[in-house]
Amino acid sequence: MLVVEGLTCRFGTKAAVDNASFSIAPGSFVGVIGRSGAGKSTLLRMINRLAEPSEGRILFEGVDVTALRGKELRQWRARSAMIFQQFNLVGRLDVLTNVLMGRLAEIPSWRSLTQLWPDEDRALAMSALEQFDMAAIAAQRADQLSGGQQQRVAIARALVQEPDIILADEPIASLDPRNTRIVMDALLRINKHFGITVICNLHSLDLARNYCDRLIGMAAGRVVFDGAPEMLTDRIARELYDLEASDVMGTAPAQTPDGATVPAAA
Amino acid sequence: MSQLPKPDRDQLRAKYPDVFDRPAETRLATPAMIVGAFAVFVFGLVNLDFSPARLWSGLSQLGWITLMMIPPDPGSSLPAYLSALGETLSIAVLGTTVAAVLALPVSLLAARNIIPSQLLRFPVRRAFDSIRGVDTLIWALVWINVVGLGPFAGVLAIAVADFGAFGKLFSEAIEAADKKQVEGIRASGGTALHEIRFGLMPQVLPVIAGQVLYFIESNTRSATIIGIVGAGGIGLQLAEQIRVLEWQKVSFLILMILVAVAAIDWISGKLRFAIIGQRAIA
Repeated sequence: MLVVEGLTCRFGTKAAVDNASFSIAPGSFVGVIGRSGAGKSTLLRMINRLAEPSEGRILFEGVDVTALRGKELRQWRARSAMIFQQFNLVGRLDVLTNVLMGRLAEIPSWRSLTQLWPDEDRALAMSALEQFDMAAIAAQRADQLSGGQQQRVAIARALVQEPDIILADEPIASLDPRNTRIVMDALLRINKHFGITVICNLHSLDLARNYCDRLIGMAAGRVVFDGAPEMLTDRIARELYDLEASDVMGTAPAQTPDGATVPAAA
Repeated sequence: MSQLPKPDRDQLRAKYPDVFDRPAETRLATPAMIVGAFAVFVFGLVNLDFSPARLWSGLSQLGWITLMMIPPDPGSSLPAYLSALGETLSIAVLGTTVAAVLALPVSLLAARNIIPSQLLRFPVRRAFDSIRGVDTLIWALVWINVVGLGPFAGVLAIAVADFGAFGKLFSEAIEAADKKQVEGIRASGGTALHEIRFGLMPQVLPVIAGQVLYFIESNTRSATIIGIVGAGGIGLQLAEQIRVLEWQKVSFLILMILVAVAAIDWISGKLRFAIIGQRAIA
Protein backbone atom coordinates (compact mmCIF):
# COMPACT_ATOMS: atom_id res chain seq x y z
CA MET A 1 0.00 0.00 0.00
CA LEU A 2 1.41 3.36 -1.08
CA VAL A 3 0.07 6.29 0.96
CA VAL A 4 0.69 9.93 0.02
CA GLU A 5 -0.18 12.46 2.75
CA GLY A 6 -0.38 16.20 2.13
CA LEU A 7 2.51 16.05 -0.36
CA THR A 8 3.67 19.49 -1.52
CA CYS A 9 6.60 20.53 -3.68
CA ARG A 10 7.49 24.20 -4.12
CA PHE A 11 9.93 25.65 -6.65
CA GLY A 12 10.45 29.17 -5.31
CA THR A 13 6.97 30.48 -4.46
CA LYS A 14 5.16 28.33 -7.04
CA ALA A 15 3.75 25.03 -5.78
CA ALA A 16 4.23 22.38 -8.48
CA VAL A 17 2.33 19.87 -6.35
CA ASP A 18 -0.03 21.27 -3.73
CA ASN A 19 -1.20 19.17 -0.77
CA ALA A 20 -1.78 15.90 -2.66
CA SER A 21 -3.21 12.99 -0.66
CA PHE A 22 -4.25 9.53 -1.85
CA SER A 23 -3.46 5.86 -1.30
CA ILE A 24 -2.87 3.18 -3.90
CA ALA A 25 -3.55 -0.52 -3.39
CA PRO A 26 -0.94 -3.07 -4.51
CA GLY A 27 -1.42 -4.36 -8.05
CA SER A 28 -3.46 -1.47 -9.38
CA PHE A 29 -2.87 0.36 -12.66
CA VAL A 30 -3.32 4.06 -11.90
CA GLY A 31 -3.30 6.79 -14.51
CA VAL A 32 -2.39 10.35 -13.53
CA ILE A 33 -3.97 12.78 -15.97
CA GLY A 34 -3.96 16.52 -16.42
CA ARG A 35 -2.53 19.31 -18.56
CA SER A 36 1.19 19.93 -19.06
CA GLY A 37 2.47 21.71 -15.97
CA ALA A 38 -0.27 20.31 -13.71
CA GLY A 39 2.38 18.67 -11.50
CA LYS A 40 2.11 15.06 -12.73
CA SER A 41 5.86 14.64 -13.34
CA THR A 42 6.83 16.28 -10.06
CA LEU A 43 4.44 13.96 -8.21
CA LEU A 44 6.06 10.84 -9.67
CA ARG A 45 9.57 12.20 -9.24
CA MET A 46 8.85 12.88 -5.55
CA ILE A 47 7.73 9.28 -5.04
CA ASN A 48 11.08 8.06 -6.46
CA ARG A 49 12.74 10.91 -4.47
CA LEU A 50 14.31 12.47 -7.57
CA ALA A 51 12.51 15.62 -6.41
CA GLU A 52 12.50 16.58 -2.72
CA PRO A 53 9.06 17.16 -1.17
CA SER A 54 8.69 20.49 0.63
CA GLU A 55 5.93 19.18 2.90
CA GLY A 56 4.03 15.98 3.51
CA ARG A 57 4.93 12.31 3.66
CA ILE A 58 5.05 9.25 1.41
CA LEU A 59 4.52 5.92 3.18
CA PHE A 60 5.10 2.53 1.62
CA GLU A 61 4.01 -0.47 3.68
CA GLY A 62 4.17 1.75 6.75
CA VAL A 63 7.74 2.99 6.10
CA ASP A 64 8.21 6.75 5.74
CA VAL A 65 9.94 6.93 2.35
CA THR A 66 10.51 10.68 2.61
CA ALA A 67 12.92 10.17 5.53
CA LEU A 68 15.16 7.56 3.86
CA ARG A 69 18.87 8.26 3.42
CA GLY A 70 21.90 6.54 1.86
CA LYS A 71 21.61 2.85 1.03
CA GLU A 72 17.98 2.62 2.14
CA LEU A 73 17.07 5.50 -0.18
CA ARG A 74 18.81 3.79 -3.10
CA GLN A 75 17.01 0.56 -2.39
CA TRP A 76 13.70 2.43 -2.33
CA ARG A 77 14.53 3.97 -5.68
CA ALA A 78 15.13 0.50 -7.07
CA ARG A 79 11.79 -0.69 -5.63
CA SER A 80 9.92 2.25 -7.19
CA ALA A 81 11.29 2.02 -10.73
CA MET A 82 11.04 5.11 -12.96
CA ILE A 83 10.33 5.08 -16.67
CA PHE A 84 10.96 8.41 -18.39
CA GLN A 85 9.50 10.20 -21.39
CA GLN A 86 12.99 10.54 -22.91
CA PHE A 87 13.95 6.96 -21.82
CA ASN A 88 17.07 8.22 -19.93
CA LEU A 89 19.28 5.40 -21.16
CA VAL A 90 23.03 5.88 -21.36
CA GLY A 91 23.45 6.21 -25.11
CA ARG A 92 27.03 5.02 -25.39
CA LEU A 93 26.54 1.88 -23.28
CA ASP A 94 25.20 -1.32 -24.83
CA VAL A 95 21.65 -2.51 -24.21
CA LEU A 96 22.64 -5.24 -21.74
CA THR A 97 24.69 -2.86 -19.58
CA ASN A 98 21.81 -0.38 -19.59
CA VAL A 99 19.48 -3.10 -18.30
CA LEU A 100 22.07 -4.16 -15.71
CA MET A 101 21.93 -0.60 -14.33
CA GLY A 102 18.71 -1.80 -12.71
CA ARG A 103 20.81 -4.11 -10.50
CA LEU A 104 23.10 -1.38 -9.11
CA ALA A 105 21.31 -1.11 -5.78
CA GLU A 106 21.73 -4.86 -5.13
CA ILE A 107 25.22 -5.63 -6.43
CA PRO A 108 28.33 -4.69 -4.38
CA SER A 109 29.94 -1.58 -5.86
CA TRP A 110 33.32 -3.22 -6.52
CA ARG A 111 31.58 -5.66 -8.85
CA SER A 112 29.41 -3.15 -10.70
CA LEU A 113 32.17 -0.55 -11.10
CA THR A 114 34.50 -3.14 -12.60
CA GLN A 115 31.61 -4.52 -14.67
CA LEU A 116 32.07 -8.01 -13.18
CA TRP A 117 28.32 -8.66 -13.21
CA PRO A 118 27.32 -11.94 -11.51
CA ASP A 119 25.93 -14.53 -13.92
CA GLU A 120 22.52 -14.61 -12.26
CA ASP A 121 22.16 -10.87 -12.82
CA ARG A 122 23.14 -11.22 -16.48
CA ALA A 123 20.55 -13.99 -16.76
CA LEU A 124 17.92 -11.79 -15.14
CA ALA A 125 18.70 -8.96 -17.55
CA MET A 126 18.58 -11.24 -20.59
CA SER A 127 15.26 -12.78 -19.55
CA ALA A 128 13.82 -9.28 -19.08
CA LEU A 129 14.99 -8.38 -22.60
CA GLU A 130 13.48 -11.62 -23.92
CA GLN A 131 10.11 -10.57 -22.49
CA PHE A 132 10.09 -7.76 -25.02
CA ASP A 133 11.82 -9.58 -27.92
CA MET A 134 14.95 -7.51 -27.45
CA ALA A 135 17.48 -10.23 -26.49
CA ALA A 136 18.94 -10.30 -30.01
CA ILE A 137 20.14 -6.70 -29.79
CA ALA A 138 21.64 -6.92 -26.29
CA ALA A 139 25.09 -6.00 -27.61
CA GLN A 140 23.98 -2.93 -29.57
CA ARG A 141 24.61 0.58 -28.33
CA ALA A 142 21.47 2.14 -26.87
CA ASP A 143 21.69 5.30 -28.96
CA GLN A 144 21.41 3.24 -32.17
CA LEU A 145 17.90 2.03 -31.30
CA SER A 146 14.56 3.53 -32.29
CA GLY A 147 12.47 5.31 -29.68
CA GLY A 148 10.14 2.36 -29.16
CA GLN A 149 13.07 -0.03 -28.71
CA GLN A 150 14.75 2.36 -26.27
CA GLN A 151 11.62 2.58 -24.16
CA ARG A 152 11.38 -1.23 -24.05
CA VAL A 153 15.01 -1.35 -22.87
CA ALA A 154 14.07 1.17 -20.19
CA ILE A 155 11.14 -1.02 -19.13
CA ALA A 156 13.48 -4.04 -18.98
CA ARG A 157 15.80 -1.98 -16.77
CA ALA A 158 12.87 -1.16 -14.51
CA LEU A 159 11.82 -4.83 -14.42
CA VAL A 160 15.22 -6.15 -13.26
CA GLN A 161 15.03 -3.74 -10.33
CA GLU A 162 12.37 -6.21 -9.10
CA PRO A 163 10.22 -3.23 -8.18
CA ASP A 164 6.99 -3.06 -6.18
CA ILE A 165 5.89 0.00 -8.12
CA ILE A 166 6.64 1.26 -11.61
CA LEU A 167 6.41 5.02 -12.04
CA ALA A 168 6.00 5.81 -15.72
CA ASP A 169 6.37 9.52 -16.53
CA GLU A 170 4.67 10.10 -19.91
CA PRO A 171 6.23 6.88 -21.24
CA ILE A 172 4.66 7.18 -24.67
CA ALA A 173 4.85 10.93 -25.31
CA SER A 174 7.88 10.55 -27.63
CA LEU A 175 6.52 7.53 -29.53
CA ASP A 176 4.44 6.87 -32.65
CA PRO A 177 1.01 5.15 -32.36
CA ARG A 178 2.31 1.62 -33.00
CA ASN A 179 5.07 1.89 -30.40
CA THR A 180 2.59 3.58 -28.05
CA ARG A 181 0.51 0.39 -28.09
CA ILE A 182 3.56 -1.87 -27.67
CA VAL A 183 4.83 0.10 -24.67
CA MET A 184 1.41 0.44 -22.99
CA ASP A 185 0.74 -3.28 -23.53
CA ALA A 186 4.13 -4.06 -21.99
CA LEU A 187 3.22 -2.01 -18.91
CA LEU A 188 -0.17 -3.74 -18.69
CA ARG A 189 1.47 -7.15 -18.97
CA ILE A 190 3.91 -6.35 -16.16
CA ASN A 191 0.96 -5.19 -14.08
CA LYS A 192 -1.19 -8.28 -14.66
CA HIS A 193 1.63 -10.86 -14.86
CA PHE A 194 3.86 -9.82 -11.98
CA GLY A 195 1.31 -7.87 -9.93
CA ILE A 196 3.54 -4.78 -9.97
CA THR A 197 1.67 -1.55 -9.22
CA VAL A 198 1.90 0.85 -12.17
CA ILE A 199 1.44 4.60 -11.79
CA CYS A 200 1.47 6.16 -15.22
CA ASN A 201 1.35 9.82 -16.24
CA LEU A 202 -0.68 10.17 -19.41
CA HIS A 203 -1.66 13.04 -21.60
CA SER A 204 -4.24 11.14 -23.64
CA LEU A 205 -7.59 10.43 -22.00
CA ASP A 206 -8.39 7.66 -24.49
CA LEU A 207 -5.31 5.68 -23.38
CA ALA A 208 -6.03 6.41 -19.73
CA ARG A 209 -9.58 5.05 -20.06
CA ASN A 210 -8.41 1.93 -21.94
CA TYR A 211 -5.55 0.85 -19.71
CA CYS A 212 -6.11 2.19 -16.19
CA ASP A 213 -8.43 0.90 -13.50
CA ARG A 214 -8.24 4.17 -11.59
CA LEU A 215 -7.56 7.76 -12.61
CA ILE A 216 -6.12 10.65 -10.61
CA GLY A 217 -6.72 14.03 -12.20
CA MET A 218 -4.47 16.97 -11.41
CA ALA A 219 -4.86 20.67 -12.15
CA ALA A 220 -2.48 23.42 -10.99
CA GLY A 221 -0.74 21.02 -8.59
CA ARG A 222 -3.91 19.85 -6.83
CA VAL A 223 -5.66 16.49 -7.02
CA VAL A 224 -9.07 17.40 -8.44
CA PHE A 225 -10.35 13.96 -9.47
CA ASP A 226 -9.82 10.49 -8.05
CA GLY A 227 -11.95 7.58 -9.17
CA ALA A 228 -12.74 4.89 -11.72
CA PRO A 229 -12.40 5.83 -15.41
CA GLU A 230 -16.20 5.52 -15.86
CA MET A 231 -16.72 8.31 -13.34
CA LEU A 232 -14.71 10.73 -15.47
CA THR A 233 -17.48 12.55 -17.31
CA ASP A 234 -16.89 14.86 -20.25
CA ARG A 235 -17.69 17.81 -18.00
CA ILE A 236 -14.92 16.89 -15.52
CA ALA A 237 -12.52 16.22 -18.38
CA ARG A 238 -13.28 19.64 -19.79
CA GLU A 239 -12.51 21.22 -16.43
CA LEU A 240 -9.25 19.29 -16.20
CA TYR A 241 -8.05 20.18 -19.64
CA ASP A 242 -9.81 23.48 -20.36
CA LEU A 243 -9.57 24.26 -24.05
CA GLU A 244 -7.39 21.24 -24.75
CA ALA A 245 -10.21 18.82 -23.93
CA SER A 246 -11.22 18.13 -27.52
CA ASP A 247 -7.58 17.34 -28.45
CA VAL A 248 -6.95 14.82 -25.70
CA MET A 249 -10.32 13.10 -26.03
CA GLY A 250 -9.66 12.42 -29.68
CA THR A 251 -12.91 14.01 -30.94
CA ALA A 252 -13.10 16.27 -33.98
CA PRO A 253 -12.42 19.96 -33.43
CA ALA A 254 -15.46 22.19 -32.95
CA GLN A 255 -17.10 23.37 -36.17
CA THR A 256 -18.70 26.70 -36.87
CA PRO A 257 -22.02 26.64 -38.77
CA ASP A 258 -20.41 27.43 -42.12
CA GLY A 259 -17.95 24.56 -41.72
CA ALA A 260 -14.77 26.54 -41.05
CA THR A 261 -12.53 25.00 -38.37
CA VAL A 262 -12.04 27.10 -35.28
CA PRO A 263 -8.37 27.17 -34.32
CA ALA A 264 -7.98 25.66 -30.85
CA ALA A 265 -5.85 28.45 -29.47
CA ALA A 266 -7.95 31.33 -30.82
CA MET B 1 -1.06 49.42 -59.51
CA SER B 2 -0.93 50.24 -55.84
CA GLN B 3 1.56 52.72 -54.50
CA LEU B 4 2.82 53.52 -51.08
CA PRO B 5 1.20 56.70 -49.82
CA LYS B 6 3.58 59.63 -50.09
CA PRO B 7 5.53 59.62 -46.83
CA ASP B 8 5.11 62.57 -44.52
CA ARG B 9 8.76 63.16 -43.87
CA ASP B 10 8.36 65.75 -41.13
CA GLN B 11 5.93 63.59 -39.19
CA LEU B 12 8.16 60.53 -39.44
CA ARG B 13 11.18 62.56 -38.43
CA ALA B 14 9.33 63.76 -35.34
CA LYS B 15 8.25 60.21 -34.55
CA TYR B 16 11.61 58.45 -35.01
CA PRO B 17 14.24 61.12 -34.38
CA ASP B 18 17.03 58.55 -33.94
CA VAL B 19 16.62 57.29 -37.50
CA PHE B 20 16.98 60.67 -39.13
CA ASP B 21 19.34 62.53 -36.83
CA ARG B 22 21.73 59.91 -35.58
CA PRO B 23 23.62 61.29 -32.61
CA ALA B 24 27.23 62.23 -33.29
CA GLU B 25 28.54 59.42 -31.05
CA THR B 26 26.96 56.62 -33.11
CA ARG B 27 27.93 58.19 -36.42
CA LEU B 28 31.57 58.61 -35.39
CA ALA B 29 32.01 55.41 -33.40
CA THR B 30 33.22 53.15 -36.22
CA PRO B 31 35.69 55.58 -37.85
CA ALA B 32 37.03 56.53 -34.43
CA MET B 33 37.62 52.89 -33.58
CA ILE B 34 39.45 52.26 -36.88
CA VAL B 35 41.68 55.32 -36.39
CA GLY B 36 42.31 54.32 -32.78
CA ALA B 37 43.25 50.73 -33.67
CA PHE B 38 45.61 51.97 -36.41
CA ALA B 39 47.26 54.38 -33.96
CA VAL B 40 47.85 51.54 -31.47
CA PHE B 41 49.35 49.43 -34.28
CA VAL B 42 51.75 52.20 -35.36
CA PHE B 43 52.70 52.96 -31.76
CA GLY B 44 53.47 49.27 -31.26
CA LEU B 45 55.70 49.11 -34.34
CA VAL B 46 57.66 52.22 -33.30
CA ASN B 47 57.97 51.00 -29.74
CA LEU B 48 59.34 47.62 -30.83
CA ASP B 49 62.04 49.16 -33.06
CA PHE B 50 60.44 48.14 -36.30
CA SER B 51 62.76 49.14 -39.08
CA PRO B 52 62.12 48.33 -42.74
CA ALA B 53 65.75 49.06 -43.52
CA ARG B 54 66.99 46.36 -41.16
CA LEU B 55 64.45 43.88 -42.51
CA TRP B 56 65.59 44.65 -46.05
CA SER B 57 69.27 44.21 -45.32
CA GLY B 58 68.50 41.03 -43.38
CA LEU B 59 66.53 39.55 -46.26
CA SER B 60 69.66 38.75 -48.22
CA GLN B 61 70.94 36.92 -45.11
CA LEU B 62 67.70 34.87 -45.01
CA GLY B 63 68.11 33.94 -48.67
CA TRP B 64 71.70 32.93 -48.05
CA ILE B 65 70.67 30.73 -45.07
CA THR B 66 68.03 29.06 -47.20
CA LEU B 67 70.61 28.29 -49.90
CA MET B 68 72.96 26.88 -47.28
CA MET B 69 70.19 24.54 -46.09
CA ILE B 70 70.00 22.74 -49.43
CA PRO B 71 70.30 19.81 -49.55
CA PRO B 72 69.28 18.74 -46.02
CA ASP B 73 71.98 16.42 -44.72
CA PRO B 74 72.38 14.83 -41.29
CA GLY B 75 76.08 14.20 -41.82
CA SER B 76 77.13 11.32 -39.58
CA SER B 77 74.73 12.18 -36.73
CA LEU B 78 71.57 10.46 -37.99
CA PRO B 79 71.47 7.85 -35.17
CA ALA B 80 71.87 10.59 -32.57
CA TYR B 81 69.08 12.62 -34.19
CA LEU B 82 66.72 9.65 -34.31
CA SER B 83 67.24 8.88 -30.65
CA ALA B 84 66.72 12.58 -29.84
CA LEU B 85 63.47 12.56 -31.81
CA GLY B 86 62.38 9.46 -29.88
CA GLU B 87 63.18 11.28 -26.68
CA THR B 88 61.05 14.26 -27.72
CA LEU B 89 58.12 12.00 -28.59
CA SER B 90 58.42 10.21 -25.24
CA ILE B 91 58.45 13.54 -23.40
CA ALA B 92 55.25 14.56 -25.19
CA VAL B 93 53.40 11.26 -24.70
CA LEU B 94 54.50 10.69 -21.09
CA GLY B 95 53.91 14.29 -20.04
CA THR B 96 50.45 14.43 -21.61
CA THR B 97 49.40 11.05 -20.21
CA VAL B 98 50.53 11.92 -16.69
CA ALA B 99 48.68 15.25 -16.93
CA ALA B 100 45.45 13.59 -18.15
CA VAL B 101 45.49 10.80 -15.55
CA LEU B 102 45.99 13.28 -12.72
CA ALA B 103 43.55 15.87 -14.08
CA LEU B 104 40.57 13.52 -14.61
CA PRO B 105 39.70 12.90 -10.93
CA VAL B 106 40.46 16.49 -9.92
CA SER B 107 38.37 17.92 -12.79
CA LEU B 108 35.30 16.20 -11.28
CA LEU B 109 35.73 18.51 -8.29
CA ALA B 110 35.60 21.54 -10.60
CA ALA B 111 32.38 20.51 -12.41
CA ARG B 112 29.16 22.22 -11.37
CA ASN B 113 27.00 19.13 -11.88
CA ILE B 114 29.22 17.06 -9.55
CA ILE B 115 30.05 19.66 -6.89
CA PRO B 116 27.13 22.10 -6.74
CA SER B 117 28.79 24.15 -3.99
CA GLN B 118 30.50 27.24 -5.41
CA LEU B 119 32.62 27.39 -2.25
CA LEU B 120 34.23 24.00 -2.94
CA ARG B 121 34.56 24.42 -6.69
CA PHE B 122 36.15 27.87 -6.57
CA PRO B 123 39.57 26.90 -5.11
CA VAL B 124 39.92 23.96 -7.54
CA ARG B 125 39.15 26.17 -10.52
CA ARG B 126 41.52 28.90 -9.37
CA ALA B 127 44.24 26.28 -8.86
CA PHE B 128 43.79 25.09 -12.45
CA ASP B 129 43.89 28.72 -13.63
CA SER B 130 47.11 29.57 -11.82
CA ILE B 131 48.90 26.41 -12.99
CA ARG B 132 47.74 27.10 -16.54
CA GLY B 133 48.79 30.75 -16.28
CA VAL B 134 52.46 29.72 -16.28
CA ASP B 135 53.65 28.54 -19.70
CA THR B 136 55.22 25.12 -20.35
CA LEU B 137 58.53 26.82 -21.18
CA ILE B 138 58.68 28.49 -17.78
CA TRP B 139 57.74 25.25 -16.02
CA ALA B 140 60.63 23.63 -17.94
CA LEU B 141 63.09 26.26 -16.63
CA VAL B 142 61.76 25.66 -13.10
CA TRP B 143 62.01 21.86 -13.28
CA ILE B 144 65.50 21.97 -14.84
CA ASN B 145 66.63 23.73 -11.69
CA VAL B 146 64.86 21.17 -9.51
CA VAL B 147 65.73 17.83 -11.16
CA GLY B 148 68.58 18.87 -13.45
CA LEU B 149 68.92 19.02 -17.24
CA GLY B 150 67.33 16.28 -19.34
CA PRO B 151 64.07 14.73 -20.51
CA PHE B 152 62.74 14.10 -16.97
CA ALA B 153 62.44 17.86 -16.48
CA GLY B 154 60.64 18.04 -19.84
CA VAL B 155 58.08 15.41 -18.80
CA LEU B 156 57.42 17.23 -15.54
CA ALA B 157 57.04 20.58 -17.31
CA ILE B 158 54.44 19.27 -19.76
CA ALA B 159 52.63 17.25 -17.08
CA VAL B 160 52.22 20.23 -14.78
CA ALA B 161 51.33 22.82 -17.40
CA ASP B 162 48.75 20.56 -19.07
CA PHE B 163 47.31 19.43 -15.76
CA GLY B 164 45.91 22.96 -15.54
CA ALA B 165 44.64 22.93 -19.12
CA PHE B 166 43.09 19.46 -18.88
CA GLY B 167 41.45 20.29 -15.57
CA LYS B 168 39.57 23.14 -17.22
CA LEU B 169 38.71 21.25 -20.44
CA PHE B 170 37.62 18.03 -18.67
CA SER B 171 35.43 19.82 -16.13
CA GLU B 172 33.72 21.72 -18.95
CA ALA B 173 33.13 18.48 -20.87
CA ILE B 174 31.62 16.97 -17.72
CA GLU B 175 29.35 19.98 -17.24
CA ALA B 176 28.10 19.60 -20.82
CA ALA B 177 27.04 15.98 -20.28
CA ASP B 178 23.38 14.98 -20.61
CA LYS B 179 21.62 15.03 -17.22
CA LYS B 180 18.90 12.57 -18.24
CA GLN B 181 21.28 9.62 -18.56
CA VAL B 182 22.65 10.30 -15.07
CA GLU B 183 19.11 10.56 -13.74
CA GLY B 184 18.31 7.15 -15.22
CA ILE B 185 21.11 5.64 -13.11
CA ARG B 186 20.03 7.50 -9.97
CA ALA B 187 16.40 6.43 -10.37
CA SER B 188 17.52 2.79 -10.57
CA GLY B 189 19.18 3.08 -7.16
CA GLY B 190 22.81 3.76 -8.13
CA THR B 191 25.31 5.51 -5.84
CA ALA B 192 27.05 8.78 -6.72
CA LEU B 193 30.01 6.70 -7.92
CA HIS B 194 27.71 4.68 -10.19
CA GLU B 195 26.28 7.91 -11.60
CA ILE B 196 29.78 9.09 -12.53
CA ARG B 197 31.01 5.72 -13.82
CA PHE B 198 27.96 4.69 -15.85
CA GLY B 199 26.05 7.95 -16.41
CA LEU B 200 28.84 10.47 -17.06
CA MET B 201 31.97 8.64 -18.20
CA PRO B 202 30.49 6.97 -21.30
CA GLN B 203 29.41 10.42 -22.50
CA VAL B 204 32.58 12.26 -21.53
CA LEU B 205 35.36 9.81 -22.43
CA PRO B 206 35.26 10.31 -26.23
CA VAL B 207 35.53 14.08 -25.76
CA ILE B 208 38.38 13.67 -23.31
CA ALA B 209 40.18 11.18 -25.57
CA GLY B 210 40.01 13.66 -28.46
CA GLN B 211 41.46 16.41 -26.30
CA VAL B 212 44.29 14.22 -25.00
CA LEU B 213 45.24 13.09 -28.51
CA TYR B 214 45.34 16.69 -29.73
CA PHE B 215 47.53 17.67 -26.79
CA ILE B 216 49.99 14.85 -27.55
CA GLU B 217 50.28 16.22 -31.06
CA SER B 218 50.67 19.82 -29.93
CA ASN B 219 53.11 18.80 -27.17
CA THR B 220 55.43 17.22 -29.72
CA ARG B 221 56.02 20.78 -30.89
CA SER B 222 56.22 22.13 -27.30
CA ALA B 223 58.70 19.39 -26.41
CA THR B 224 60.95 20.64 -29.21
CA ILE B 225 60.91 24.16 -27.76
CA ILE B 226 61.54 23.10 -24.17
CA GLY B 227 64.37 20.92 -25.51
CA ILE B 228 66.10 24.12 -26.59
CA VAL B 229 66.25 25.40 -22.99
CA GLY B 230 67.81 22.11 -21.88
CA ALA B 231 65.00 19.64 -21.27
CA GLY B 232 66.47 17.14 -23.72
CA GLY B 233 65.27 15.78 -27.05
CA ILE B 234 65.55 17.03 -30.59
CA GLY B 235 65.21 20.71 -29.61
CA LEU B 236 68.60 20.56 -27.94
CA GLN B 237 70.22 19.23 -31.17
CA LEU B 238 68.43 21.90 -33.19
CA ALA B 239 69.66 24.73 -30.95
CA GLU B 240 73.25 23.43 -31.09
CA GLN B 241 73.31 23.14 -34.90
CA ILE B 242 71.91 26.67 -35.27
CA ARG B 243 74.63 27.97 -32.95
CA VAL B 244 77.43 26.35 -34.98
CA LEU B 245 75.75 27.40 -38.28
CA GLU B 246 75.41 23.84 -39.64
CA TRP B 247 72.46 24.81 -41.83
CA GLN B 248 72.16 21.53 -43.71
CA LYS B 249 71.76 19.69 -40.43
CA VAL B 250 69.26 22.31 -39.21
CA SER B 251 67.05 21.81 -42.28
CA PHE B 252 67.25 18.03 -41.85
CA LEU B 253 66.16 18.33 -38.19
CA ILE B 254 63.25 20.59 -39.15
CA LEU B 255 62.11 18.07 -41.74
CA MET B 256 62.31 15.29 -39.13
CA ILE B 257 60.07 17.29 -36.78
CA LEU B 258 57.55 17.97 -39.58
CA VAL B 259 57.34 14.29 -40.49
CA ALA B 260 56.95 13.28 -36.82
CA VAL B 261 54.13 15.78 -36.22
CA ALA B 262 52.33 14.69 -39.39
CA ALA B 263 52.65 11.02 -38.38
CA ILE B 264 51.24 11.72 -34.93
CA ASP B 265 48.39 13.70 -36.43
CA TRP B 266 47.53 10.73 -38.67
CA ILE B 267 47.73 8.18 -35.84
CA SER B 268 45.68 10.30 -33.44
CA GLY B 269 42.98 10.74 -36.08
CA LYS B 270 42.72 6.96 -36.46
CA LEU B 271 42.65 6.45 -32.70
CA ARG B 272 40.00 9.09 -32.17
CA PHE B 273 37.65 7.48 -34.68
CA ALA B 274 38.27 4.09 -33.11
CA ILE B 275 37.24 5.48 -29.71
CA ILE B 276 34.16 7.49 -30.64
CA GLY B 277 32.98 5.01 -33.29
CA GLN B 278 32.48 5.84 -36.96
CA ARG B 279 28.71 6.07 -36.63
CA ALA B 280 28.78 9.18 -34.45
CA ILE B 281 30.35 11.10 -37.36
CA ALA B 282 28.30 9.64 -40.20
